[in-house]
Amino acid sequence: MSPGREAIVLPLLLLTVALLAGADIGTSVALVPPSLFSLVLATMLVVALVRSGALDPLRLLHGSRSPLANANGVVVLVALFAASAQVLAMLTPRSGLPLFFVDVLLFVLLLNTLVAEPDRVRLLRSLAVTLGSALILKFVVLAAVSNPSGGRMSRVVIALFDAATFGSITQEVQSPASGYLAFFATAIYLAALALLPAAAPRSTHGGLARRAPDALVPR
Amino acid sequence: MNDSVVRGAGLGVSLLYATAIGWLYVSQPQTVAQVTGGLASMVGAYEIDRQAFDDGLRFFRREQYSEARAAFARADSAERDARTQFYIAYSYYREGWGRVYNDDALFARGLAAVDKAIALAPGGRLVVDDVDLQMRSADELRGELQRGLTREAADFNPLKVFRSRK
Repeated sequence: MSPGREAIVLPLLLLTVALLAGADIGTSVALVPPSLFSLVLATMLVVALVRSGALDPLRLLHGSRSPLANANGVVVLVALFAASAQVLAMLTPRSGLPLFFVDVLLFVLLLNTLVAEPDRVRLLRSLAVTLGSALILKFVVLAAVSNPSGGRMSRVVIALFDAATFGSITQEVQSPASGYLAFFATAIYLAALALLPAAAPRSTHGGLARRAPDALVPR
Repeated sequence: MNDSVVRGAGLGVSLLYATAIGWLYVSQPQTVAQVTGGLASMVGAYEIDRQAFDDGLRFFRREQYSEARAAFARADSAERDARTQFYIAYSYYREGWGRVYNDDALFARGLAAVDKAIALAPGGRLVVDDVDLQMRSADELRGELQRGLTREAADFNPLKVFRSRK
């Protein structure tokens, strides 16, 4: 990995994600720190990145590297953790049953990823699908269900839905800019994950295939 | 370019950026003026608009409190000057003060402004040298605002109507 990518591109991308994903746009802009559960999910996500080979920590921190290079590596790792926590917090609904179910779903998905140990490409694809789905759920589906600014019919349907679900589904109304901001933050985050220093690709063949052909022939 | 130069520059820029983001999370600025003013005050380069402050003081002494607050807000757009925030709090106190009852909403805003002034003052101690004011320290003003917001038996004392505004 080039020093420019490690020292400049990755930290700036990840820190930008940490900033954008924390922005809560309402009547005013507030920067919201991640929840405790988001920190847990972020830890699982970083571990999954390491186990899949999407991130090789030895290429960021190692005794053979110079102190300056190791400092760059520490910045990348800290920024990666902060960005992961903020992205997961951003994509989680704010209240009610959606908050509970999305938290559980993300936890189970990450746990499953840790156990399945997919390779780098599969993990990145899986993350893109997971984060994209969470984005659509929160900023398209739940936002539409919770938006009272439509016509009379829309307001009646929302009121009936709210009553039928005891108000446990609808969320606080979000600014239209929130969805765009979340989309760009998620896109930058996924791009940054693809740029992380990866481990050497694992062989997809079994142990027998790696042995010399003549070693299998009985003497 | 030399690798060490790239790495050193990257480290410096990243740390600076991370510090700025950390500051944004802690201070929660609401406007661009607050962002630029906050960053300027971090390096000791923040100054209020003196002309607007003098306008505010003139309105304040004429008891035109809304006008005074507008001028003070213009003078200290980043809300980083303790003295200006003190005058804003004082204007809320004077406007909200009543012989029979106080305006709780104005007193609450005054309390928020004086808390901001105390937080901005070095060591939390703020004394304003103004002979027209009966309360010259932020602590006195804060105490008066808090007493105004508290419900107690003394509020029903009829002799209360003889007290005077400070």
